[in-house]
Amino acid sequence: MLLLLDIISGILLVTGVFFGLSGAVGVFKLPNFFTRVHAASVTDSIAVILIVSGLVLQTPLGINIAKLLFILVFLLITSPTASHALAKSARHGGLLTMSELEKGDQEEKAPK
Amino acid sequence: MTALYAVVCIAILLVMAIALARAFYAPTVYDRILGVNMFGTKTVLFIAVVGYLMGRPDFLDIAIVYALINFIGMVAVLRFFEYTAPVD
Amino acid sequence: MATSKIKVRRYTHSAKWIISLSIFWLLLSGYLKPLLLGFGVASVVLVMFVFNRMQRVDNEPQEFGTWLQIIRYTPWLLGQILSSSLRVTKLVWGSASEVSPSLAKINVETVPEARRTLYANSITLTPGTLTLDVDGDEVTVHALEQTSIDELKKGYIASKITGIWGENK
Repeated sequence: MLLLLDIISGILLVTGVFFGLSGAVGVFKLPNFFTRVHAASVTDSIAVILIVSGLVLQTPLGINIAKLLFILVFLLITSPTASHALAKSARHGGLLTMSELEKGDQEEKAPK
Repeated sequence: MTALYAVVCIAILLVMAIALARAFYAPTVYDRILGVNMFGTKTVLFIAVVGYLMGRPDFLDIAIVYALINFIGMVAVLRFFEYTAPVD
Repeated sequence: MATSKIKVRRYTHSAKWIISLSIFWLLLSGYLKPLLLGFGVASVVLVMFVFNRMQRVDNEPQEFGTWLQIIRYTPWLLGQILSSSLRVTKLVWGSASEVSPSLAKINVETVPEARRTLYANSITLTPGTLTLDVDGDEVTVHALEQTSIDELKKGYIASKITGIWGENK
């Protein structure tokens, strides 16, 4: 039983780290700012979920599980807020997305 | 499990290094902020995993505090840059 | 009698806040000594005092979502996050020319106004789609692939939310 838990949480941790690394590669590889935000959001959502749940399986029942779950919920609420604030201020700052540069003003006019 | 925790720690450190590199070499100021934000969330995870590696789950408290500070700091920096950042 | 109903609602609202703040204090401190519990009570009282004053200013009590609905929504959202993460990861490791970033405005009339934050945050939380702006009945979304925009326009998140919380009005 304990071995099974170890194996499951090992798998969760390793896949979480894999998603984290691919997000980090994407942050360098993808061609423009808004696409890079998507790559960063992979590390912010799925990697956090997998790694924290891997740790939860290793924790004896008690206050530490509650703390881990609090970290998880807090990160899951704040990371979309942070990326939204980032994208919004990038638009105010005048960064356009790739499709806007190609299509001109089809969808959206230049930001104020 | 200790070996696995060590591997996970090193991998998260690698991700953090890549995020910091993005913060140093970036075309726009927003990419730098993106890198710093990623660095912050990975730091929270790193502190938690290091706590398990050392067998001291008290580190979770530090992770919580770091998560709170990271979010506040991000929002503050973005409020500052929303209308003042030059695009180069 | 309408005023007394509002009063009752406000009291239950405060009670919910007091309970969740106390749980939060216990979670962070973990000590049950009388001195530290006293500090906890004092800080809860202080927060409730500030909270009531702020409520008098903006006059818009935010309802707590019912736990049952959140519990029904979360597993589905986790599944969505997993599948779209796999898609984005594939794009990252593939060649860079495969990405087709696109921008669209999506109509969210059917989503109840109190759930639009949840809707926009769900879009941002699933990798590959990002909410840029919420403006009245429209949400501006940036996506890494054209197909995810098409799926959002068909309303696969919106129909889930309206299925759980009910339609607008």
